[in-house]
Amino acid sequence: MRLTLNGAVTDVEAAPGRRLLDVLREECGLTGTKEGCGEGECGACTVLMNGQLVVSCLVPFAQAEGAEIRTIEGVGDHALQQHFMSEAGAQCGICTPGMVMTASTLSRDATLEDIRIALAGNLCRCTGYEAIYRAIQRARAATSA
Amino acid sequence: MSVVGTSVARKDGIGKATGAAKYADDLSIPGMLFGRTVRSTIPCGRVKRIRYDFDTTGFTIVDRRDIPLDGRNVVALIEDDQPFLVERDVRHVAEPIVLLAHADREKLLAADVIIEYEVEPPVFDPEASTESLKTLTIDKGHLDAGFAQADVIVEGTYRTGHQEHVYIEPNGVIAVPEDGGIAIFGSIQCPFYVVKALKSLLGPKAHVRVVQTETGGGFGGKEEYPSMIAGHATLLALKAGLPVKIVYDRTEDMIATTKRHPSIVRHRTGVKRDGTLVAMDVEVILDGGAYITLSPVVLSRGCIHAAGPYRCDNVRIRGRAMLTNTPPNGAFRGFGAPQTIFAIEAHMDRIAEALGVDPVTIRERNALVPGDTTATGQRLTADCSALPVLREAVERTDFRRKREALRGTNRGIGLSLFYHGSGFTGSGELRLASKAALELTDHGVRILVSSTEIGQGTRTMHAQIVAETLGIPYEDVDVAQPDTTLVPDSGPTVASRTCMVVGRILQRCAEDLKRRLGDLTPAEYYRAHGPFTIVREHEPPGWIQWDDETYTGDAYATYAWGCDVVEVELDADTCEVRPLHLTAVQEVGKAIHPALARGQIEGGSAQGIGYAIVEHVAMRDGVMANASLTNYTIPTTLDTPAMDIVLLENPYEDGPFGAKGLGELPMDGPAPAVINALRHLGVDLSEIPATPERVMSACGSR
Amino acid sequence: MERFQYTRARTVPEAIGIAAQSTTAQQSAPIRFVAGGTTLVDLMKLDVERPTRLVDINHLGLNAIERTADGGLKVGALVRNSALAQDPAVMRDYRVLSEALLSGASAQLRNVATTSGNLLQRTRCMYFRNTAMACNKREPGSGCSAIGGENRTLAILGTSSQCIATNPSDMNVALAALEATVHLQGTKGTRAIAFQDFHLLPGDTPNRETVLEPGDLVTHVTLPPPRSGTTSRYLKLRDRASYEFALASAAVVVEVAGGRFRYVRLAMGGIGTKPWRMTAAEQALTGAPVDEATIRQAATLALRDARPQSQNGFKVELATRCLAHALRLATGMASV
Repeated sequence: MRLTLNGAVTDVEAAPGRRLLDVLREECGLTGTKEGCGEGECGACTVLMNGQLVVSCLVPFAQAEGAEIRTIEGVGDHALQQHFMSEAGAQCGICTPGMVMTASTLSRDATLEDIRIALAGNLCRCTGYEAIYRAIQRARAATSA
Repeated sequence: MSVVGTSVARKDGIGKATGAAKYADDLSIPGMLFGRTVRSTIPCGRVKRIRYDFDTTGFTIVDRRDIPLDGRNVVALIEDDQPFLVERDVRHVAEPIVLLAHADREKLLAADVIIEYEVEPPVFDPEASTESLKTLTIDKGHLDAGFAQADVIVEGTYRTGHQEHVYIEPNGVIAVPEDGGIAIFGSIQCPFYVVKALKSLLGPKAHVRVVQTETGGGFGGKEEYPSMIAGHATLLALKAGLPVKIVYDRTEDMIATTKRHPSIVRHRTGVKRDGTLVAMDVEVILDGGAYITLSPVVLSRGCIHAAGPYRCDNVRIRGRAMLTNTPPNGAFRGFGAPQTIFAIEAHMDRIAEALGVDPVTIRERNALVPGDTTATGQRLTADCSALPVLREAVERTDFRRKREALRGTNRGIGLSLFYHGSGFTGSGELRLASKAALELTDHGVRILVSSTEIGQGTRTMHAQIVAETLGIPYEDVDVAQPDTTLVPDSGPTVASRTCMVVGRILQRCAEDLKRRLGDLTPAEYYRAHGPFTIVREHEPPGWIQWDDETYTGDAYATYAWGCDVVEVELDADTCEVRPLHLTAVQEVGKAIHPALARGQIEGGSAQGIGYAIVEHVAMRDGVMANASLTNYTIPTTLDTPAMDIVLLENPYEDGPFGAKGLGELPMDGPAPAVINALRHLGVDLSEIPATPERVMSACGSR
Repeated sequence: MERFQYTRARTVPEAIGIAAQSTTAQQSAPIRFVAGGTTLVDLMKLDVERPTRLVDINHLGLNAIERTADGGLKVGALVRNSALAQDPAVMRDYRVLSEALLSGASAQLRNVATTSGNLLQRTRCMYFRNTAMACNKREPGSGCSAIGGENRTLAILGTSSQCIATNPSDMNVALAALEATVHLQGTKGTRAIAFQDFHLLPGDTPNRETVLEPGDLVTHVTLPPPRSGTTSRYLKLRDRASYEFALASAAVVVEVAGGRFRYVRLAMGGIGTKPWRMTAAEQALTGAPVDEATIRQAATLALRDARPQSQNGFKVELATRCLAHALRLATGMASV
């Protein structure tokens, strides 16, 4: 099956009913996308499909045909990643790729309330989310400056 | 130059932010099989017969008979009572009986193993259980004499349920046959615990190497249980002669692994009209689950903290951890203290109410100050900060005025005052004799410790301590991945000890090294003299006196102190409790890395908020019935209050740069502060979580 | 997860033709349509569903939101929940639907989940989802572990001695209050089913959840034209603020004139074995004055037939308060 993976047209051979998550991790070697629950609750496996956030643990691979898939390896939002590091927005780091993917879709003028609503589908057990808000706000401030 | 006290970039930050960091499930080894654990479905009884109802071609099958002759079928910990694989008796649901491995995961999952049992009646109520795993008593003064002085006696019973860790990365390890023995790569808090357990499984002479991979959260949940999983993967790998990966899915992780001990705490307190505590009689009952595992130590820490940060001359604390037919409960951030601190702090507000004083006054009157003694008779010194944290929190939140202003609204405000002993209890640190090492590299030094990075910032904070002491740039300090054949045993990564204890050993290593280097930088010395490694052992302060028999003496080298203020909103119609704001004032000795310290407090507070309001394990017939993130809820961004974190510093003289332990402290405060905020609204709760039905029935009775 | 055949249907008749070979369109159907996949992938991983053939219907069109001739709205089966919630016409004319959709799941799921998938969402009863436990819905005749078990979140209306599982969908509650129509195409042509007839009570066959027969494909849902002067709201009570199923929820469509209720449609979620219309309360309110006493009486009446289980007695009171508060919101008697 052909898809655009992190900007590159890619042919992947995998059963259409496999989870997109497994195909990304096992066939494409993109292990930055994590599995936390396998039931769409935790958001650790969040990727972008045609520009929209999806939980890759509940997406059958067939749906990715012809789609544009973007993972943490290709997110390219370096300011955001830099600030997740400097603000200690990543502690154990397992939710971080999903958090970064979700945060990457936020507009520059997102308020704290917007950020909280946007991240409501991504669970973090380490930070209490505060450092994540700080990372996103600083990154947004830096890129709009 | 000063690197300690600044928020330098995390050593592991960029790998985590880019997704490059490798966790156990991200690793794949050629030829690797996948392992599966077949578990008991009954809580109590005996295995009669095991039948393999599938084509076993290509499968590796392990049962108890596959344990090597030199080895023992026990997960070595405190007592040797828990088997790796059921011998015959089943004590809880999800107890491991048979192990399977196969190269194809679908075949592995489809394999049907039928187990027949002889069923016996289980015990689920810890108060009905007749088998105690541990009992202890703390006695101070004369209880009867104390009650004789009391003007008022206040009684209360407080209950807390299980709490699930919900580290976002489930448990997982890979076992690889190596040098006639085994190498383990896994999500592990305490690599040397795994070594100990595997040496018991395989025999003392076996080669065992344990390597910690990037670990997606622990919170105590990866303290003891990885020994079990590593043992299972080892047995499969040795039998198959191939690497075996076992990664639990979320449901298996929730059903099989440890949780926070449920508790029942009863208080009977004598108090004078002026608010002075004169007698405290406390009974602590913990539900230990089916094996001893860590229950004795959890009970111990829980009981030591059960009288709260208060002065009282006459105290009796009686604790018991009881056997029930559920999976063993185990280590979870706070280790017994969140349960007993919930009880005493909810109780203090009841005492205040009985006396007609406010929650601040009752605490000011009784809070420990330097020179006072704790329930175990430990005399506190200048690093006691109960009153400073209380005063700062009260002032910062304008607590008294706000409490008045909110009267009659649907908002309530409550506080909790708490403390947490840093490091192992009593003589524990002496017995551990932890070691740490520093070695020179061609560009600086490398830290060799078995302390693990599980998100809390171990690597970063250790590197800061070493860089500061040596006077070299932070970037010149590397941190070795914990590999038990390369690093010394620094003790487990638990008990808020990684900074205070292991950090202190590293500081001593660095001090020695600095003397040795003279005027040379580490890199210059390395080029001139070649490799050099320095190893030091922990030297607990000489003044610590502790008696394990009588439970008297210096329970901890020092304590960190906290005061949380929580404001909640209660929807009178729907009984929803919404935490609006949390102020946490916490005295941590010295914040080596302020952003990480703050992160610990924010994260611990969120776990505490979850514990207080939404986290409920539905334990039914000995098994967690809501074992999924769909049915066991933890706080999301929309359930977590805005937080105001205040770090106070009051140095502990024997900690690195004055640092105390702070990892567990923030877990202790939120639950009682939430319950006290609800009490401010007239809702009398003595049990968490504060679910709508509990709030509703408490509202109905007001 | 067991192996299965995956077919991408190119036309509606092709999809129907394949699915018509299935022995059932209900629990354990050997042939299943897959759209967003969020429910099916989840249940297949849990081994609750084991289809041998999946028919991918994502390429059949069916993803438009259009005005109908009578001024109502036609929502294609494959319209994603996020698109439906954010559709300007829905936000303007059917606010209750938008609010219900946004109160469910997470952004990541709403971007994938479809209208028909949400319509057919399966219960979150923990016993249904755990193949080690008895469940009549999953395996008819095996028993119901929830009765007398962990039933805190389960139904108090429409239960039977065989099943007390709750319908988990928020969207369904709004569609019930809006009196939507579900449109099917099957081997014998097309059918239009009134929303309240689409889902079935568990009775003795809790494995049968809808009127769907093998080959039936939900093609779209229609909403009647919006009544001018009505206000509609969705209120959801749950244990946590985000991504959590309802303990009780209420969809309310009301028109007030001269201080009296002129038009009332009420439905509730989280408490019924199917999306629950509150017709007795609707009748009691219609023509009655808009005041606190009327609202309370009607809400109490709405839950009159509730039959709580061992752990969910609190839901009767909670649901009563939920409905009352939703009515206050819709009539402007309360703002939050």
